[in-house]
Amino acid sequence: MKRKCQDYESRLPDNTAVKQQQLPAFRLQLTASEILSGFFAIGLFCLGMGIILLLSAKSIKEVEGNVYLYYKLYGFYQNLYRYILSRSNIQLVGADVKDVRNCAPFRTSDNGLPIAPCGAIANSMFNDTIVLWYNFNSSTHIRVPMVRTETAWWTDKYVKFQNPAFQNLSSAFAGTAKPPNWPKPVYELDEKDPGNNGFINDDFIVWMRTAAFPNFKKLYRRLHRIGNFTEGLPAGSYSFIINYNFPVSRFQGQKAVVLSTLTWSGGSSLFLALAYLVTGAVTLLASFSMMALHLKLKERKTFFLQ
Amino acid sequence: MEREPAAAAEEPGPPGRRRRREGRMRTVCSNLQPPPGAEEPAGKGAPRRRLRGGAQHLADNRLKTTKYTLLSFLPKNLFEQFHRLANVYFVFIALLNFVPAVNAFQPGLALAPVLFILAVTAFKDLWEDYSRHRSDHEINHLGCLVFSREEEQYVNRFWKEIRVGDFVRLRCNETIPADILLLSSSDPDGLCHIETANLDGETNLKRRQVVRGFSELVSDLVSEFNPLTFTSIIECEKPNNDLTRFRGCIIHDNGKKAGLYKENLLLRGCTLRNTEAVVGIVIYAGHETKALLNNSGPRYKRSRLEKQMNCDVLWCVLLLICMSLFSAIGHGLWVQRYQEKKSLFDVPESDGTSLSPVPAAVYSFLTMIIVLQVLIPISLYVSIEIVKVCQVYFINQDIELYDEETDSQLQCRALNITEDLGQIQYIFSDKTGTLTENKMVFRRCTVSGIEYSHDANAQRLARYQEADSEEEEVVPRGGSLPLRGGTGGHPSARAAHQSQSSRAHRRTGSRAEARRVSMLTELTAFSSPMEKDVTPDPKLLEKVHECGRCLASARHQEHPLDHLSPELSDIFDFFIALTICNTVVVTSPDQPRQKVRVRFELKSPVKTIEDFLRRFTPSRLTLGGSSVGSASMAAKSAPKASLLSTLANDGALLRLEERLGPGAPRLASNGYSSAADNWAAEQSAMGPEPGPELRYEAESPDEAALVHAARAYSCALVGRLHDQVSVELPHLGRLTFELLHTLGFDSIRKRMSVVIRHPLTDEINVYTKGADSVVMDLLLPCSTDDARGRHQMKIRSKTQNYLNLYAVEGLRTLCIAKRVLSKEEYACWLQSHLEAESAVDNREELLFQSAIRLETNLHLLGATGIEDRLQDGVPETIAKLRQAGLQIWVLTGDKQETAVNIAHACKLLDHDEEVITLNAESQEACEALLDQCLRYVQSRSPQRTAGSLSVGFAPLCPPSEATASGPSLVIDGRSLAYALQKNLEDKFLFLAKQCRSVLCCRSTPLQKSMVVKLVRSKLKAMTLAIGDGANDVSMIQVADVGVGISGQEGMQAVMASDFAVPKFRYLERLLIVHGHWCYSRLANMVLYFFYKNTMFVGLLFWFQFYCGFSASAMIDQWYLIFFNLLFSSLPQLVTGVLDKDVPADVLLAEPQLYRSGQNMEEYRPRTFWLNMADAAFQSLVCFFIPYLAYYDSDTDIFTWGTPITAVALFTFLLHLGIETKTWTWLNWTACGFSVVLFFTVALIYNASCATCYPPSNPYWTMQTLMGDPVFYSICLLAPVAALLPRLFFKALQGTLFPTPLQLGRQLAKRSPGKFRAPRETSAQGHIPEEARTKLPGQRSVSVARSVSRDCSSQVSQGTWQPACSPEAGGEPSAVDMGMPWREGTLPDRLDSQPSRSSSPGPVAVEGCPGGSRMKPMSASRPAPLPSVFSVPGLSSLNWMSSLSLVSGLGSVLQFSRSSLPMDKRDSDFLPGSAQPDQDLCDLSGQTTDCF
Repeated sequence: MKRKCQDYESRLPDNTAVKQQQLPAFRLQLTASEILSGFFAIGLFCLGMGIILLLSAKSIKEVEGNVYLYYKLYGFYQNLYRYILSRSNIQLVGADVKDVRNCAPFRTSDNGLPIAPCGAIANSMFNDTIVLWYNFNSSTHIRVPMVRTETAWWTDKYVKFQNPAFQNLSSAFAGTAKPPNWPKPVYELDEKDPGNNGFINDDFIVWMRTAAFPNFKKLYRRLHRIGNFTEGLPAGSYSFIINYNFPVSRFQGQKAVVLSTLTWSGGSSLFLALAYLVTGAVTLLASFSMMALHLKLKERKTFFLQ
Repeated sequence: MEREPAAAAEEPGPPGRRRRREGRMRTVCSNLQPPPGAEEPAGKGAPRRRLRGGAQHLADNRLKTTKYTLLSFLPKNLFEQFHRLANVYFVFIALLNFVPAVNAFQPGLALAPVLFILAVTAFKDLWEDYSRHRSDHEINHLGCLVFSREEEQYVNRFWKEIRVGDFVRLRCNETIPADILLLSSSDPDGLCHIETANLDGETNLKRRQVVRGFSELVSDLVSEFNPLTFTSIIECEKPNNDLTRFRGCIIHDNGKKAGLYKENLLLRGCTLRNTEAVVGIVIYAGHETKALLNNSGPRYKRSRLEKQMNCDVLWCVLLLICMSLFSAIGHGLWVQRYQEKKSLFDVPESDGTSLSPVPAAVYSFLTMIIVLQVLIPISLYVSIEIVKVCQVYFINQDIELYDEETDSQLQCRALNITEDLGQIQYIFSDKTGTLTENKMVFRRCTVSGIEYSHDANAQRLARYQEADSEEEEVVPRGGSLPLRGGTGGHPSARAAHQSQSSRAHRRTGSRAEARRVSMLTELTAFSSPMEKDVTPDPKLLEKVHECGRCLASARHQEHPLDHLSPELSDIFDFFIALTICNTVVVTSPDQPRQKVRVRFELKSPVKTIEDFLRRFTPSRLTLGGSSVGSASMAAKSAPKASLLSTLANDGALLRLEERLGPGAPRLASNGYSSAADNWAAEQSAMGPEPGPELRYEAESPDEAALVHAARAYSCALVGRLHDQVSVELPHLGRLTFELLHTLGFDSIRKRMSVVIRHPLTDEINVYTKGADSVVMDLLLPCSTDDARGRHQMKIRSKTQNYLNLYAVEGLRTLCIAKRVLSKEEYACWLQSHLEAESAVDNREELLFQSAIRLETNLHLLGATGIEDRLQDGVPETIAKLRQAGLQIWVLTGDKQETAVNIAHACKLLDHDEEVITLNAESQEACEALLDQCLRYVQSRSPQRTAGSLSVGFAPLCPPSEATASGPSLVIDGRSLAYALQKNLEDKFLFLAKQCRSVLCCRSTPLQKSMVVKLVRSKLKAMTLAIGDGANDVSMIQVADVGVGISGQEGMQAVMASDFAVPKFRYLERLLIVHGHWCYSRLANMVLYFFYKNTMFVGLLFWFQFYCGFSASAMIDQWYLIFFNLLFSSLPQLVTGVLDKDVPADVLLAEPQLYRSGQNMEEYRPRTFWLNMADAAFQSLVCFFIPYLAYYDSDTDIFTWGTPITAVALFTFLLHLGIETKTWTWLNWTACGFSVVLFFTVALIYNASCATCYPPSNPYWTMQTLMGDPVFYSICLLAPVAALLPRLFFKALQGTLFPTPLQLGRQLAKRSPGKFRAPRETSAQGHIPEEARTKLPGQRSVSVARSVSRDCSSQVSQGTWQPACSPEAGGEPSAVDMGMPWREGTLPDRLDSQPSRSSSPGPVAVEGCPGGSRMKPMSASRPAPLPSVFSVPGLSSLNWMSSLSLVSGLGSVLQFSRSSLPMDKRDSDFLPGSAQPDQDLCDLSGQTTDCF
């Protein structure tokens, strides 16, 4: 009986906050009075953000500073499901030039050689050449100096894309075929600069980063700020000389060339600024209406609590 | 079992015939016998070989409840998991990815979530299986004594080594390892007792008997059973799960057969009690034991919410198909548009041709299904399961659902219907044991037509109502109290000693021990002091003593009973019947569970009288050994021959027995003469010499109550053996009745009887105790001619009147009757009865018939009224549940009057409300009545609907009057049977629906379940059935939610239930708090799940408009697949488990809030679609803000998709933030964890591999983005913009049209402390009770002093006196003086006053400025004291005491309440339950003012 007494254990549950669901808690009341201040804060914040963004977007002087040259395509679907699959990362990193497994249907050329770079993305690469001339006066046309490197992500250029390890680039790509649409093989993309040739060609890398929307622009050249162009593009008349290789009319697409500068908040797009402003305004409007409601109902409250 | 009846007597049949029977039978023989053939006679060899062969495939005793082995785990578990359709669907989708033309994800990756889910489930199963394995292992390695042939003694073996046919020796308090046939017991009567608590929860002892006819053959001489000599063969049924049945026979070597019954079998899992040691042979082992065959796992039900959810999942599937179809058509058109263009981005087939639109569309369709599969939430089911497990855990852990008295908490047996608790509309309740305590207390009785009202007893009970029973033991009893120590008030040395010893016992024990002892008492027998002590009625007591005196003086004469007047004779018989007409086992508390074995020859002080009696009526019982042998046996047992020969000429009985021939079971079979003596000696040495306090262990509480009542009249049951009952009588000393038969209680006969031989008259008497409706019909028809007959008639009609009176008082009535049998009559009946007993086929039926033959022509002795007390808090609980909008039906088997009375007591019926009573004798009458009632109800319905409309919005005010105005319906079982007919059930239901409460009396278990089924199917309502007994099982199983009360009537109801509560009152918290929480949590979580997935899929879908519907996704597939599973799952789980939309105290104070669950306000189709629309809107915002922000930029598809993912995550978390009502640190942590996890995973993932994870190849994406201010501005703007409308509308709605839940929330926030206060007092409920342990008189004095000190100027000592004088004096009249109101007037005044009660309040407070100073004197709930403050009416004080200012006064007032007569208490003080509401209104009024 003594033993039984010791064995006896109460089944009384522990009286702890967690087990009794008594944790101290913050309770949010979704009523006008409770979240009024929150609404005000959000509204003011959004307005502030909007104004800042707006000012920064407005501060952009069109062609001063670092000027970037973009080409823009309309109606070109780089985000098609089958399209974005059709590439070989193994090949592009230079590990195995002949790895074309994922590149259907552009895996091998008609004579059975593996295509390098393989796949639909590479095959459809934009290959117009755009040259910007500065019409200094009616007679002198200065070719605006443009840099064709550092247009791609650093990690792309130095990690994701690598040429096969060979002394001679053309021998590295021996035994492969050029993509069907390409006029020349990959090792002749930039014959002047070996650091920009083959897979690590910036134009190629930029193209391989498939755009999100059917209308997109891609960075083509950066302004080389020397001579006349240290402060950006001086005012004046310019002309583009475009070598038309890339057909877009077939699919009712369009091409455009864009010159632009960048700010900390991205491009010159006003959208974010406007979105913030609108959101802020709407929020403030809502909070004012709630405040009105709250003030009006303050007397009524006693009524319905009784 | 279809077995030839002749088989019992015949020799072993031919082998062919036996084999035929083998299919249904199991044969068992001793394992100790050497292999066949050796030294055995050829004749026996044949069956034995067969038996050996049969024994080989019998299960051993190893317990294996595990489902899997190491090898079978994977296939078996997978097979089980694929029973769930969702899993099959997800695997199908994952496998679709292996088809190259349509794959959307990397095939391996797509399988990951499915595998993850499967793995989680598999791991859970594995863990469960492992814990089962461990417990199995533990059980398998328990030890027990098994006889070993090699060592020729009992050796210790593991349980798992026991085999069928082994001999097992069990000692006291050991658990029985297998189903064992009892062959030998240390008990001289061949009995042993077992406790079946593990099996069915019944804690009373059950008697088991050594195999009849076997014991003589095997162990007539040896004191210890020798298994080696066991050569018999046992035939019995195949293993089955029927605990109440066991049949078979044992075939001895000489070809004799004896039947085996349930009484011979010890079941696995039971505990041996009260018996030193037993030996038995294992019949069923391991999984073939009845205990394990009965063991079914937890039940699985599908909740209503889950059904609705599944329906919405189907909608999601439809939506998914629509989206995919839309996308497919779009893609087809897109392909057609560009087909001829040979555009550069076109990806042709391998053969160079472009894909034609139709196959492209088909492929796109399939790919879209894969991409958008997230719409069907893969983790939904797993999450819901997790949440439910946690909810169940928290319900189990709730300290306020813990019952201290029984040390039990709420048990959730069904894991997946927790949220159904929040949606119940109808409660079907049993009465006995559910609403009432099922603790029977003797209240009053009528004997021979004279009523004894036991007023003192009623007062005593009123006191118990106040003082908790367990505390009683610490209190030294005050002299002024009426004696309640059983026989303590009478000049009997024994009794005085008894009370002395019991008092000593009480004094020595510390409080803790006292509590434990009382708990033990509670567990072992139904005898709390309240039930044990009965204050006898002085008149009746006097008569009993007179009766005893008469008998004592007349006992030496021929017919002692004839000297008594008929009335006294009836009284004498009445008490004899109360004492012995039962199956109560007597034990002593000092030696728990040790049967008191008092050998009266050795110890009885009236030895000489006994001797005299023996001489006078040579009963063999007085020989003590109770050894009866038949002639055939006597011949065999030489040493006993002389004894038996003297016995042989004992009386007619014995001769009759002999006439019945050899082989027939004897009347009292016992062959233990020598063993018995040994045991007796031992027992007497062990037994405490001075009469110990006896404890009665009864199978039903009624029996115990009656025995205790009889004991109060000095008719104490002191010993019960198998065949004799000893009774201690006043003046007569100990009388021993030879117990010839006990015809047990059954629910069809509704009565039980004992057949005894009266020691004084040597007559054979039948005492019958049973329901009045039955017994009154069985009385001896008496002629109206002679005076005696007329007198009898008068007595009967008087008794019937009193019975009706008792029923009106809500007492359970039993009639006691007697029949004197002549020897011839008895012999005649006995013959048929013995035939019935020995029958193998439908033995029960025959025994039933036999019992009916005996119980006729009875002579009515009297009737008893036993009170079945209401459980604590039942009226309050019912009131709350009603307020919560639950309709409560009581379905009971009790009489209409009793049921109606209990219904009044528990406030189910109000005194001033209309009650429609339906008692129809025929179908037509029933129909007519129903029509009439319907017309009546409809005639008054217009005002009702108007009333209910007016309450539409008043959630914080006292309960609407409209609900109270409906009539109540009372229907008896017979009418119910008619009403449940097909053509009437609609009318009945319609009527019942209009009624405020429905009471079905005299209903059978089947009717109960039919009613529940009817309501469930016809009204489409959620039903809950609560009950405690076996008769409620069918109802519990039929209802949506079955609740069992783990009370005293066994565990059947609990076994069948989904939830088991210790008391009815816990239902309130279970439903109103936990039910509501579970429902609201789960509903919100499910809605959130749908929202989340729709919103996420929406993002993907909008993108299709910009990618030619080509099914490409801008979100990296890793994010896509793991988003639901990892990044956004934890916060919602935490919210789903922990969120409390309204705190418990508000829910309890405002039960109306429960209605939101009933009306499915949180999750109904409208909310679902609104939710989906909101999801669509949010996805639009979250898609187009990033889209426009990155429009006309040089971003690439996956760099653009990552901010979208982040935006989605933030939106989800903020949305959850809006939906979460309580923010604990766990919520914050979970949300923080989600964000951190996402960014960590993204950063690691994006840095891990430069060439992997096509097509996204996201190397350094996140890193780049995190350097981009646009990313941050989007992450800030999009979630805010997406959630603004929702927040705004929620706030508007919360301000303008708040739901009751929102109001409750606001209230909780504004006045948090005011709700906590009452809860704290209830949590510390035991503290005030402890305060009550002080002697009432003392306490009143001390309080009076404090009152006088505190506000002596206002309240004089004199005014106080009237109130406390009843306490000290115990005079009922003084109570009346103190209370200005009487029974009749009080309810009316209470009903009329609460609304206009405010004015006297301030007066009262002003009257005693010291009131605030009295605060520290904390005590329990405040109650009024009219005599101190002369305030008219109770309700005003109610109001007053609701102010915290006077809570101190309340404690003073407490007392006058306790001095109320007990029966007034239930009805009169209930209005206090309305107090919280009133309270709340006041508080809310105040808070508003403050605000």
